[in-house]
Amino acid sequence: MSVAFARKRRISITPYLFILPHLIFFAVFVGYPFFSGLYISFFQYDYLRPEATVFVGLQNYLDLFHAGSVKFIEFWNSVRVTVTFVIWSVPFLVLIPLGLAVLLNSKLKGMKFFRAVFFSPWVLSCAVISLIWWWIFQSQGGLLNYYLKLWGFDTPRWLSTMPYAMISIVVATVWWTMGYNMVIFLAALQDIPTDLYEAAEVDGANAWQRFTRITLPLLQPVLVFIIITTIIASFNLLGQPMMMTRGAPAQPTGGGATEPVMLRIFTEGFVRPFQGSAAAMSVVVALMMMAFSFVNFRLFRQRD
Amino acid sequence: MKTIRFVLPLLLILSLVLSACGTPAATQSPAQPPAEQPAAGQPASGQEQTQSCGVVELQYWNPFTGPDGPYMGEMVEAFNASHPDIKVTMTSQGEYYTQLATAAAADTLPDVAILHADQIATHVFRNMLRPMDDLVAEMGISSSDYPAGVWAAGEVAGRRYSIPLDIHPMTMFYNADLLKQAGFENPPKTREEFEKIAAALTVGENKGFNITGGFPVMQIFQMLLHQFGGTEFSADGTQATWNSEAGVKALQWMKDAQTKYSEPNLEVDAELNAFKTGTVGMIWNGIWQTTNVTGAGVEFNGVATAVPQIGPQMAVWAGSHQFTLPVHRTVDPCKDRAAAIFIKYMVENSVTWAKAGQIPASNSVRASAEFKAIQPQASIAPSVEYAFFPPAVPGITDAFGPLGEAVGAVMNGTATDIKAALDDAAKRANEILVQNKATYGDAPKAP
Repeated sequence: MSVAFARKRRISITPYLFILPHLIFFAVFVGYPFFSGLYISFFQYDYLRPEATVFVGLQNYLDLFHAGSVKFIEFWNSVRVTVTFVIWSVPFLVLIPLGLAVLLNSKLKGMKFFRAVFFSPWVLSCAVISLIWWWIFQSQGGLLNYYLKLWGFDTPRWLSTMPYAMISIVVATVWWTMGYNMVIFLAALQDIPTDLYEAAEVDGANAWQRFTRITLPLLQPVLVFIIITTIIASFNLLGQPMMMTRGAPAQPTGGGATEPVMLRIFTEGFVRPFQGSAAAMSVVVALMMMAFSFVNFRLFRQRD
Repeated sequence: MKTIRFVLPLLLILSLVLSACGTPAATQSPAQPPAEQPAAGQPASGQEQTQSCGVVELQYWNPFTGPDGPYMGEMVEAFNASHPDIKVTMTSQGEYYTQLATAAAADTLPDVAILHADQIATHVFRNMLRPMDDLVAEMGISSSDYPAGVWAAGEVAGRRYSIPLDIHPMTMFYNADLLKQAGFENPPKTREEFEKIAAALTVGENKGFNITGGFPVMQIFQMLLHQFGGTEFSADGTQATWNSEAGVKALQWMKDAQTKYSEPNLEVDAELNAFKTGTVGMIWNGIWQTTNVTGAGVEFNGVATAVPQIGPQMAVWAGSHQFTLPVHRTVDPCKDRAAAIFIKYMVENSVTWAKAGQIPASNSVRASAEFKAIQPQASIAPSVEYAFFPPAVPGITDAFGPLGEAVGAVMNGTATDIKAALDDAAKRANEILVQNKATYGDAPKAP
């Protein structure tokens, strides 16, 4: 036993050398900023005024939970906005790509072309797609309202009233990122052995039964992965509202109805020089996301 | 296998969590390449001051990424051509204040930078600007050449940190064709005239006066607040005071005007775009929109003019671009002297800048025949006498945040009780002012 243990303890350096390049970048660009952020969240901190750095303990965190204060209102408003966005966007970002992937997985002609078409928006940058959709949604000569008016429908103010402002952002995001999830689904679908389907067909299963009894169960690990990464990606919402609505419409109680938490953190730390407090917000958001992901894993694991 | 399936996604998640979606909008555009240096060996033209320094290179940053950038580039070229011993390189960029702050951290700030008047105190307290009292005296520039408000914006804790370049006031743009059709030869100057014309032009699909729920409604509110005799803050910048009777009157007037003459719930810039289609009689926006909505920018006779007086006294919202000297770890007296020559030249030649749609801050430039020939800038110029600026305290722009939200909420209809909205915003702004005081202290670090 102890001999085997000792033998196992002999560390070979080769695998570590393989991960070293990534480890260095991870440490420099993710590891260090993470711990540095954690550290400054306990200070009143502005990197341009080192003389004004004061250790404040948990004050930056307590401020976020001090009901009625400006920080409290603005922070939790933005969290609410982000969570709303997650709830509105994730189902579409999972179901639409799943549907597309199933359709594109067939052996018909031209499927490669459609794969490229559906994937192509994803290669565009956040700023580009936001601008495209701004032009579609904007109220003066915007494409959407032009056609709605032409066909005699109501023409809502897509970018300045609720819930339309949120809908606009969700639509833009779904169009932009669905291709990525679709490609992952496609890869997973192609891993499913075709003999399973053939056997099911022989047993007289129809298309829907084949989908629910074979495709979905075998996709489950990928599905969990996609749901969780999509939730996290949606949590990181920043660019689309920044470009499309600028957080509008303003809320009477403070904050904007489409101001996501990442924009709030950016404002706190860069527009205002409160990097300590912004770091505390980031930590709280990161904790929320970790808790969320943990619960997700537990939920889906139990069904295994 | 089980653990790997669990650990791998978790690592991935962790890296995603920690790296958050990048900022998308940070556009960087080095505008207008500066002029070529005149051939070496060309005799220096009377800049004895810099002779011992050789050719001094200056970095000059500004936020002029719009159509005004080329005009500034033209001025820099002209300066370089006439000053062979100074070479100025101009950089215009977006996300300007974020750029400045990161450059400050890396000690790569430029030698001369443009700042907006309301940003100066904040940047002084964040150790990004140097006082320039001595240099100003050397240059022979004095407060008497500027309207009091715009000059005061550059004085922080008793020292001078900036020299004003321009004043850009709120401006009224009107569709002269629509006014003419309705029988009006001249734009309104008073509340009665304004309401009469706006009502007359609101027929069918047309709107008399479009006003949004986003930028610049807060600025419009500030202007009307001053016109009705109020102020945004107490003079020492410690209390928000916009929830006064004047504030309620101002915002009530705006809401009524929106109800009667405007499309509801317009987003940012929608009033400009609607105006450009020729269906809107009047809009208020910054003077920097002049080239966008008048002249060749539109297919009708779009005209820019001074805003009317709605309240019992005249007041005009305005911003101002000012020259500043950023902080460097080692100060080079040669560069400072060259910067002084450059700034003085730019101020004295700001007539070119006026063509970009700005009003020169210098009284003597505004009085010059050359400026008076530039329309519509010259006819709007008198309104800068009524321009007001926020108190020069650090972080003051943050305290405007809640006001913007309140005005936006009232204009978008998400708040209906005007007094309550303004009260609530004032309460939140006061909290921000206290936070600012706590973090910035009473005076900037000794230079």
